[in-house]
Amino acid sequence: MNLFLQQLVNGLSIGSIYALMAVGYSLVYSIMNFSNFAHGSVIMLGAYFGYYAMTLLGLPFLGGAVAAALGSAGVAIILERLAYKPLRDRRAPFLYFIITAMGASMFIDNSVIATIGPTPKMYPNVFGQGPISIGHIDIGRVDLAMFIISAVALVALILFIDHTKLGKAIQATAYNMKASALMGISPSFVIILVFGIGGGLAGIAGILYGMKYQVFPQIGAITLKSFIAAVFGGLGSLPGALLGALLLGILETFVSGYLSSQYRDLIAFTLLIAMLVIRPSGIMGKNAEDKA
Amino acid sequence: MRLRILGIAMVAAALVLVGCSGGAGANTIKIGWFGPETGDSALWGQAEFNTMKMMVDDYNAAGGVNVGGKKYKLEVIGYDDKGDSTEAVNVTKRLITQDKVVAIVGPQGSGEAIPIAPIADDNKVPVVATTATNPKVTVQDDGTVNSYMYRACFTDPYQGKVAATFAYQKLNKRKAAIVMTVDDPYSAGLSQYFKQSFEQLGGKVVEQVSFTSGEKDFRAALTKVKASNPDVIFMPDYYNDVALIARQARDLGINQLLLGGDGWPSDNLIQLAGNALEGCMFINHLDFDGAAAAPMRAEYKTKYGKNAELNSYMAHDALVMVVDAIQRAKSFKPADIKAALDTTDLPVATGNNDYLTNPITGHIKIGPTHDPVGKTAWLIKIVGPDMKFQESFAADS
Repeated sequence: MNLFLQQLVNGLSIGSIYALMAVGYSLVYSIMNFSNFAHGSVIMLGAYFGYYAMTLLGLPFLGGAVAAALGSAGVAIILERLAYKPLRDRRAPFLYFIITAMGASMFIDNSVIATIGPTPKMYPNVFGQGPISIGHIDIGRVDLAMFIISAVALVALILFIDHTKLGKAIQATAYNMKASALMGISPSFVIILVFGIGGGLAGIAGILYGMKYQVFPQIGAITLKSFIAAVFGGLGSLPGALLGALLLGILETFVSGYLSSQYRDLIAFTLLIAMLVIRPSGIMGKNAEDKA
Repeated sequence: MRLRILGIAMVAAALVLVGCSGGAGANTIKIGWFGPETGDSALWGQAEFNTMKMMVDDYNAAGGVNVGGKKYKLEVIGYDDKGDSTEAVNVTKRLITQDKVVAIVGPQGSGEAIPIAPIADDNKVPVVATTATNPKVTVQDDGTVNSYMYRACFTDPYQGKVAATFAYQKLNKRKAAIVMTVDDPYSAGLSQYFKQSFEQLGGKVVEQVSFTSGEKDFRAALTKVKASNPDVIFMPDYYNDVALIARQARDLGINQLLLGGDGWPSDNLIQLAGNALEGCMFINHLDFDGAAAAPMRAEYKTKYGKNAELNSYMAHDALVMVVDAIQRAKSFKPADIKAALDTTDLPVATGNNDYLTNPITGHIKIGPTHDPVGKTAWLIKIVGPDMKFQESFAADS
């Protein structure tokens, strides 16, 4: 029973980071209808922003998190302006967006390898060492911090989307961009807003991921998992992305814990394929078309 | 007609040129080296080649190598294999057929050393690998010894045995867990040999978890390890994974001793692991701070401005083996060098002016399988930011 609970905690801890990444994907998808494969690179940059803010500038953890969030939000917005806006202006097919996103991702990753280098870096240990024990369960300090920070960020996001005018604007645009434009909601503004929010969350995910593991140029690869989580929960649906991410995290941990970690990815991807075949809209998704 | 004359003239000129370069090289012994100068392992490849160049300069400054009463200068020709087995085959062929080296030092990885064995055998040019520890580098699956392959390091079975013996006899550990990289032959092999020896001694491996390279999250597997409550955790992995595993293990409240092999030593290990590895131990090829290593460590630091890596010392020992074989053979024909390598028996350096004549990492006596027999393994403990030598240890092989 203890082992089960311990693995459940491990799973929630991984799931919460998938969730932060998955909502960024889902937000952009809900407005633009394409999968932003450059999201992983923005997360990776967030990890580096946070690392340098804390080591070079000597900021405390919260300062580092703010720096990571702002930096990544900036990068995401610049990326939108430079790479996606010209495509939107020309009404390019969605395939072009996906290819552009992949290109941008490679460009960013390789720029980091060329300038900073491939050697992994380690965040200073700000939370102290050793587990926090509750009964027979040991929770890592970083894991606990990660779970709390992810939860706060995600609750704030849901409140923002549901209870503010800007949030309503995003919802309206996601529902029907043309109609909401006719009602006076600027699509361009909403898109920038969405990339900014997605980027900010990516930055926080980056700093948390970096603290939990390491900072290295290939961090972005992990977003493949959050993509599975987003599809699993229903692309374009925020609660779906959350649910999908937590379920995936727990499932992966149980596979590694009770079977073997070699089967973990095998089962995660089988799940993705099965979901696409059986219920392409995911657990909570609305429309079944255009999943990419 | 005129063209043909021109052609003949060019061929003649080329022949003269070839003759000249051959003539100029008559007093020079060419030794090849290859290893990764770019890519993930570049740090170690560069450390090896730097050492080779430094030593060749020192041999030549001392007048060269004495071959049957005549002094010859040494020359080292080095190529980058990018840590890639195909590239390793290419550069080996190039060293042997174009550069006509009489012996090759390197490579460092078993993955590169195994595929070049047939080339060395076909061309009858001896190769002394530096840190390639896999048994198959010198002995094929069917037990055939690769005639022209040698190495300066001990092998994985030996290393696994030393680690197991040490854990069981000296540390009095009875229950071990293993955390290994399943798709890496080094890690898988070392795990297997450790387990074999540890159980032969009477110990028990209570849990063995594996992961694939590139994995970053070990918590689920480590939770299993924790539940098995071992006395010691053996981690035959590379330093980057070791750092991650150690940190996550400590996060989960796993406080047992972590024990590792020669994949651990790196300047980056402790920086990446923080204090998660405090008090942990690993088997190494040498004592970095020992008297034998002192002269080379100092010279390397002065010349290159950084610390010599493990690979520097291994390349040193491999080159010392080759030079020693040339001197004893009184010839630098590849076949004669090979014959002399078979009877290599070099005591470890004392640190007194014998840096160019004796190995640094231990007594090297080449056995029938072309591996050093009963070579000293050095147990290193991590204390604060330092790697402190604990004791040397030789198991019978």
